[in-house]
Amino acid sequence: MFNSEARSIKWLPWTLVLAVTLLIVPGLSSQAFAKEVFAEQAFAEEAFAKEVLAQEGEEEGGEPKVEWGQDVFYKDWEGNPLKGPISGFPAPELGEEDYNNYEFAPSRMLLWVANQQHLYFGSFVLAVPIFCMLIEFVGIRTKESDPVLSAKYDKLAQDLMKVSLTAYSWTAILGGILLFTFITLFPGFFKYMAGIFRPVMHVYALMFLAESGVLYVYYYGWEKMKDDPFLKWVHCSLAVLLNLIGTILMYLANSWATFMQAPGGIDEKGQFLGNIWHVIHSTLWNPVGVHRILGNIVFGGGIVGAYAAYHYLTAKTAEEKAHYDWMCYIAMFIAIFGLIPLPFAGYWLMKEVYAFRQQMGITLMGGIMAWLFIIQAVMIGLLFFGANSYLHNSMSRIKGSHRYMKYAKYMVLLLIVCFTMWMTPHTIVMTPAELKDMGGAQHPIVGHFGVMSAKNTAVNLMITTTILCFLLYQRANKKINVSWSTQGNAWIAAIFVLAALNIIFLGVYGYALPANQRVGLSVPQVTTTLTTLFAGTAINISMFKDSDSYGDIEWGTQSKVATYAIFLMAISFTWLMGLMGYIRSAVRLFWHVTEVVRDNSVDAYTLTIGEAGKMLTFNALFVWVQFVIVFWVGSLTAKKAPAKAPEGVPVPAQQQQ
Amino acid sequence: MLPEQADILWTFVTIIFTLFSLFVFANVIQHCRSREGTNTVLWGSVFGAGFIVNLMMTNHMFDLNQQEQLGFISNQVLAVFLTLLIWGLFFKSENIESQSPPLIRAAFFYSTISILLAGYTNWLPQQRSDPPPKPQAIDASSLTMDIYVGMGETIVFGKERVAGSKAIGKGQCPLCHTFDAGDNIGRCPNLFGVEERSHTRIKEDRYLNDPIKIGEKDGATGIIKGKPDQVPEEYRRADASELTGEDYLRESLMCPSCYVVKGYGKAGDTKSPMPVINKPPISLGPVEFNAVMAWLQAKDTPGDFANVTIPLPTGEAPKKEEEEEGDAPVFVTGAEPIDEMINTLGCPLCHTIPGIEGAVGELGPKLHEKINAPNRIKDPNYKGKAKTGRDYVRESILNPNAYIVFNEAEGEPYPEGVMPADFANKISVSGLDKLVDFISNTQPEG
Repeated sequence: MFNSEARSIKWLPWTLVLAVTLLIVPGLSSQAFAKEVFAEQAFAEEAFAKEVLAQEGEEEGGEPKVEWGQDVFYKDWEGNPLKGPISGFPAPELGEEDYNNYEFAPSRMLLWVANQQHLYFGSFVLAVPIFCMLIEFVGIRTKESDPVLSAKYDKLAQDLMKVSLTAYSWTAILGGILLFTFITLFPGFFKYMAGIFRPVMHVYALMFLAESGVLYVYYYGWEKMKDDPFLKWVHCSLAVLLNLIGTILMYLANSWATFMQAPGGIDEKGQFLGNIWHVIHSTLWNPVGVHRILGNIVFGGGIVGAYAAYHYLTAKTAEEKAHYDWMCYIAMFIAIFGLIPLPFAGYWLMKEVYAFRQQMGITLMGGIMAWLFIIQAVMIGLLFFGANSYLHNSMSRIKGSHRYMKYAKYMVLLLIVCFTMWMTPHTIVMTPAELKDMGGAQHPIVGHFGVMSAKNTAVNLMITTTILCFLLYQRANKKINVSWSTQGNAWIAAIFVLAALNIIFLGVYGYALPANQRVGLSVPQVTTTLTTLFAGTAINISMFKDSDSYGDIEWGTQSKVATYAIFLMAISFTWLMGLMGYIRSAVRLFWHVTEVVRDNSVDAYTLTIGEAGKMLTFNALFVWVQFVIVFWVGSLTAKKAPAKAPEGVPVPAQQQQ
Repeated sequence: MLPEQADILWTFVTIIFTLFSLFVFANVIQHCRSREGTNTVLWGSVFGAGFIVNLMMTNHMFDLNQQEQLGFISNQVLAVFLTLLIWGLFFKSENIESQSPPLIRAAFFYSTISILLAGYTNWLPQQRSDPPPKPQAIDASSLTMDIYVGMGETIVFGKERVAGSKAIGKGQCPLCHTFDAGDNIGRCPNLFGVEERSHTRIKEDRYLNDPIKIGEKDGATGIIKGKPDQVPEEYRRADASELTGEDYLRESLMCPSCYVVKGYGKAGDTKSPMPVINKPPISLGPVEFNAVMAWLQAKDTPGDFANVTIPLPTGEAPKKEEEEEGDAPVFVTGAEPIDEMINTLGCPLCHTIPGIEGAVGELGPKLHEKINAPNRIKDPNYKGKAKTGRDYVRESILNPNAYIVFNEAEGEPYPEGVMPADFANKISVSGLDKLVDFISNTQPEG
């Protein structure tokens, strides 16, 4: 049984890599080449526009009437601000009449709740089709070798889609609430945004229509397209299409938020300069997009994991328990797979924030938002602890895992040390008395661990440890038989030892370099970590060829700690997602659109951490109440599973032997 | 949330608590009905009462503001724990093995984790950041260089600066720059001795040629390097024919990439990461801009303004606020509400005054006069004539220099002569009585 299970599972990493690459690489590459290509393109556009306008002027027998403005972000070849024809109205100076409010709560809080709830659900409904696509693909690939398992994958994907369908309608309703909240409470600002993004908003609505159409065909056509191999591939292709449309939808919506944080395509007065692509493709658009795709995968994995964990707890039969245990594993696998590269995407985003405005970056990392980043560090630490705890506990149900369990305590110790370093602040806002007590802005000893050299080292070691833990999990019940097993093990050991040494060396070396050069060291550190992921996994899986099994994974025996570790991860993802969303939004401080449209409402202040924390908790709990309702509604149409597995029939995992 | 509004989290939690108690009630009734010999009336009454108590508590929570809710929610937490305890007793006494459903366990787990996180965020230091005020009109006639340099320092560090602190003002300079000898956080150059350097820098080869040459235009800002006579008029100094140290400082603020100190720039030290100070987001107006310049020139020689070449503002620059408000002299009759009186007199600009919204000034002492005034009279350094707290307050308004309060945070007295001594001309007798009554009773909030 396990061999066939393992064969199918081993498809998952490669499928995930392929899927993530498909979704993310266009963004990455466009960012990488954007500056060069864009400069050339922008120069040509500007020249062309000038030429056309000059011609028009000549034809009309006078000077061209169009005024030119300088872009607040885009530059031309020589690094001067790009010029564009002024095609919109200046940003308004908002007054009292531009803000409405209810007595029971500040408008800003209401908009926050509406926005966050929509984003949570949006994230979930964008993530689930990615899972379904992957799981369905794995199911197709395993159909020949193991039809039972293939059917199981297919059923899982279909079940997930069913839940997503209810959530999809819910997301649309929340989107409507968000839109009305925005229009009614912030009419002045919405008018400005609508003036700039008018065509994008219409395209967004049309894409939503396309998404709905594909989604319904994909879901309702499942049964009809299930059996014919060709139609099955067509069906799976619909999943790809669904994800592409979903990604475009998300990127379009992202452009509004990234424009507000780091605008482009307008001049200093906020006047649109005629090129909608510049407005959409502002500097943070790509990093935010990539970060969100990965975040959605992690968040979606967390929700599906919690859904499975809950059903695992309520399962009455061994069969049900085995099924949901397996589902927990698949969900956690996907979530952890997304979690590992997520910090790197975060670094990229922060790098771009610093490149846009250094003081914005410092406000985040060393100013009023610094404590929020420490909370973020705590949350990420929680997630890594949760992930490792799940893996360690889940290993206990795998025969043969005793060979590796002895290393668990050392890995936990390393995680604790790294976590402590990871959450050490560099500078924080302090009272004068606290400053005097400490003898300066940085603590004489602990302060050394607050710099990025130490933090990068710590987080890379945490990720590497998690990767190692996962490799051990993968091989827990394998008796390796390949002739080169010693060399293979030596290679894996060497890769991890050298990686750790290199990460530590680069971290220590960073202290000897000036800040601007030190930043560059994060690239080889990240590369080292990713090497352990790809090379380690590749060697590990290659070694499974012709391996014997110490015994099956005893699906359905997941420990309570592992089950609650999944709950911990799910609520942590939810809270963390809200936190990071708040940070990204709040860093605009008293601007609706950074440096262009000032927030003149009574809510223009930056909240205290405590106030923000309460809102985050409310949002996290509130969304989970809704998830429970949505799952319950989704379950109303489910066929009732047999209450008890017939006697003598093994659990599904054993059926596949 | 505003203080008078309900707290969103506690309101949500109280609703959830009531729903939970309803669930427990239904769960118990269900168990009782499915078992023979169970006292349904007893258990139903107990848990029904629990539900009603929770419902009443939730109803009460809706009538409270957030501060009151925080105090009251602990009662409901207690009620919920009691419910849990009695629920456990019920299970135990009825020998029910399949107890609370996983949904409740998961919900408690989720709530505990996320409320702990909210608690963690409330345990950390709290700081609310208000948006910077929009440029205000300045009474140029009463300005001295000392005050003007002080205004520059406030723009740089904010109102709560103490030595070595990270206090950051509207200018946001300390985010990246340091100012004391030997101090460096590696982001931007240390500005100790910058006045002296400004004179020599303009003669250095690197300044003359890198990253652009003298006379060339910086694309990002439109400033022509080394040409003080071509600086935008509102920022240009009078008779700007020759390049001076002052011009270098001005250029550094208006065109950070005209010259980039080695090791602190991007793209091979050709681009400065520093924002343009007279443009958004910082957007210093000409008067504020020059105040920062004056402080930069004076900061290394405290009390000596010989190096300051920036003139005091003349008040000739058009001020929107001034135009709108006209030139009517300030006078309060006492018929106005107290907060309007205090705001008209301008007290909140320098003082923190409990009970007056927005009165969070830090240039002068906090007005907690119910406690402070009687103590001040007893201070051996007190040379005034007041015998009571009210007299002291009256004296402080009419004759501010009679006693200078010691600033504990700074370790030195508040600056003398900052508070205007002409309030006698701005307030009626009955208005003064009303003001004294109010100020004499101010005390720390909370």
